Amino acid sequence: MEGKVIVVTSGKGGVGKTTATSCIGAALALEGKRVAIVDMDIGLRNLDVVMGLENRIVFNIVDVVQGKCKISQAAIKDRRIENLFLIPASQSDNKDVLTTSGVERVANKLRKEFDYVIMDSPAGIEKGFENSVVGANEALVVCTPDVSAVRDADRVIGLLYSRSITPKLIVNRIEPARVERGEMLSHEDVLDVLSIDLAGLVPMDEHVLISSNTGTPLVLQNESKAGHAFKRIARRLNGEADLPIEVPTHKTSMWSKISKTFGFKN
Amino acid sequence: MLSRLFRRFTGQKASKDAAKKRLQFSLIYDKLELNDTTLSDLQKDIVSVISNYFEINKDSLELKVKRDDNVTALVFNTPILQVKRKRA
Repeated sequence: MEGKVIVVTSGKGGVGKTTATSCIGAALALEGKRVAIVDMDIGLRNLDVVMGLENRIVFNIVDVVQGKCKISQAAIKDRRIENLFLIPASQSDNKDVLTTSGVERVANKLRKEFDYVIMDSPAGIEKGFENSVVGANEALVVCTPDVSAVRDADRVIGLLYSRSITPKLIVNRIEPARVERGEMLSHEDVLDVLSIDLAGLVPMDEHVLISSNTGTPLVLQNESKAGHAFKRIARRLNGEADLPIEVPTHKTSMWSKISKTFGFKN
Repeated sequence: MLSRLFRRFTGQKASKDAAKKRLQFSLIYDKLELNDTTLSDLQKDIVSVISNYFEINKDSLELKVKRDDNVTALVFNTPILQVKRKRA
């Protein structure tokens, strides 16, 4: 049976595409699937450092597309998570080095060798985006609850629709306390504006930065709320479509409620 | 909860409501943004359809996208010179 190619995209940069890609990929591998994560951000690669695999790069996706090496030579095997592979981007080439037909051919090959191929798209809607989308069966759009990310997500959703792909949305970096205070768009607000199906909701989580500092997979840290949310997104992608979407909440202690009432800072 | 109550007392609006409203408007406007070629293509098509029924002065017509607070309308304005007789 052929695997699926899923593109993770956002339009706007810095909303958590790379985190989402690495977490969902790792979580799918933990579910027992054979997963290839492909960094499509040619010239500005980052997945390798986030995943802690930067010292093991020999070949990259550009080499694969140009036929300079085999997929198996470019795919770096993660030693902590079984069945997880990274095909890194090239750091020296520029974005125009890849052709859509070349990427499509490689995507079709990857589909035969892996259960899931996750494409981490670069920010923007130019050539790099086109290349990331060309071989995809499914798409995940990542946005944060702020006006610029939501607006860019809308644009990207439109572009995906025009390619007959119906994307699903991940709202990332939700801060429940601020949502409650009315300072931050809630996921309902975002969905009202975008009219798209939800893939999952991910809370703001300090563990994300910490795990990227050391290059360790977030999904292996049981106390990480974001890691937990990404694991559930992966399970939903992997056949458990009915797994409920958890809305991030925050606990207010009695003391902070009291002090807020009297106008003290907490 | 408490902050919602507080806002009700003070009549202050949550900033996220402003964000939502502004987003809804800008997304609509983004989609209505027409580039010049689309507009001139549209004008050509409209002229060719209308010319089947009326004789119009092709130089004195105007095509505009008008935006009000609530509605956006396409306005096509042309003087009619003569009604064309339908051929038998």
